[in-house]
Amino acid sequence: MSHSHDGAVLELHDVGVRYGDREALRNVTFSVRAGELIGVIGPNGAGKSTLFKAICGLVNHSGEVDVNGVHCHDRVDRMDVAYIPQRSEADLLFPITVGELVMAGRRRFRSWHQRTTAADRAAAIEALAAVNLSGYEARSLSELSGGQLQRAYIARALTQEASVVLLDEALSGVDQPTTIELFDLFATLSKSGTTFLFATHDLALARHRFDRLIAVNGTIQGDGSPEQVLAPAVLDSTFGSGASSSQGGG
Amino acid sequence: MHWLTDPFQAEFMQRAFIAAIIIGVVAPVVGTWIVLRRMANLGDAMSHGTLAGVGLAYAAGINVLLGAIGAGLLMAVLLLLFSSNRRIGQETVITVLGTAFFAVGVVVISRIDTGVELSHFLFGRLLTVSWGDIWLNLALGGGTVLVVMLLFGELRLATFDHVQAEQVGVHVEMVQAVLVLLLSVVVVISLRAVGTVMSVTLLVTPAATARLLARTLKQMTLIGVFIGVSVGVVGLMISYHLDSAPGATIGLLAAAVFAVVFAATLPRRNKHHHRPLL
Repeated sequence: MSHSHDGAVLELHDVGVRYGDREALRNVTFSVRAGELIGVIGPNGAGKSTLFKAICGLVNHSGEVDVNGVHCHDRVDRMDVAYIPQRSEADLLFPITVGELVMAGRRRFRSWHQRTTAADRAAAIEALAAVNLSGYEARSLSELSGGQLQRAYIARALTQEASVVLLDEALSGVDQPTTIELFDLFATLSKSGTTFLFATHDLALARHRFDRLIAVNGTIQGDGSPEQVLAPAVLDSTFGSGASSSQGGG
Repeated sequence: MHWLTDPFQAEFMQRAFIAAIIIGVVAPVVGTWIVLRRMANLGDAMSHGTLAGVGLAYAAGINVLLGAIGAGLLMAVLLLLFSSNRRIGQETVITVLGTAFFAVGVVVISRIDTGVELSHFLFGRLLTVSWGDIWLNLALGGGTVLVVMLLFGELRLATFDHVQAEQVGVHVEMVQAVLVLLLSVVVVISLRAVGTVMSVTLLVTPAATARLLARTLKQMTLIGVFIGVSVGVVGLMISYHLDSAPGATIGLLAAAVFAVVFAATLPRRNKHHHRPLL
């Protein structure tokens, strides 16, 4: 179940996170190569979101997080990691158009006082086309369905051109055909070197859509192929005893 | 027709109209972000808190606007220092600071002989605005609008999604600090004209009304400015004819416009209330 550290785009070593007296994560160590498409599974409250926030530098953590070989303490920015949170965290009534939202990913390529360029706009239009939202540029977010909204966030991550994309339950509410299309897109992008970590508790999705799974519940419970991680012993340690039988024996 | 032109005859009224227009433009430009960031409570606290600076400046014999700026800056610094304490929360810190500064102002003004009633600081004296006040407000207001225009993109990113904003290189805390500073400048601009209490009305109410109508941030800012200028000018005319307090009349008109727009847009908001999943 171990993975080579050669060519790693993301490395975590002994990472832990505490919220006050509560230990949310402990002893998390794993390495991710460029272009991997990884499912992160675990029950609600298992620490999946906390893990992603630690990778982004959004929560204080112990241990080490390296992105593209740069230690977390030495990173002057977090631009190489795109984080798509669960949709409930955003203000959906904010007066912003889809085009403006997607264009936000381009901010990393210019300084605060520089205006957006034709290349930025072209990148935004291309990203919207990739998530089947062409022609939605002028719509406000309040006009989008839940699934369309998540696709717009994914388009924003694409314009950011991050080498690591973290999707935290990001396809909640997205219909099945669009989910298939988006995973095809993730697969294409991962072949060109973009790394995806996708938090989900949908084990059917996890089984069929990822080459590698990481099971989390407070710490790493399993790391390997879907067959290895969805084995009864790992499922029971991750989701609680009896979980494997309710999932059809894993 | 005389009803419309009479108020403009006297020079003091011309100065009052210019002052109302400056505030009507600047307050919603900053207020847009105060409303979107749900910082109206901060605006309220800041507007009350500047009274401490006003009172102390009077006691020290220096310009009250300098005192107000000083109090605003001190409040901003203390707020940024204390608001990271998660045990009590930012809203609590804002309220404690605002009421404490306000209390200092009331105590100082009640203890010294300023020759001016406390109510003049609270509700302003739009009809006594001088050309000096107008030039100062024009400079401060122009600078404020310029800063918002320069930082428009950064403000949008930091306000909509501060997590993603940090990821793409926006200095979110710096943007927040600048916004608090601009807020204190708006309060200072409003001080002589509409007073500390009414300044928050012009800061929040036109922007909140625009929020109900606008689809984009630029629309929200422009609609807010239109409402701010309109209620300033019309409110002043009404106060002239009714012989009512100008600041309070403007505030009342702004609230009335908000109520009408709120009622008129209620069906549309209800329609968008339930978001389909697919």
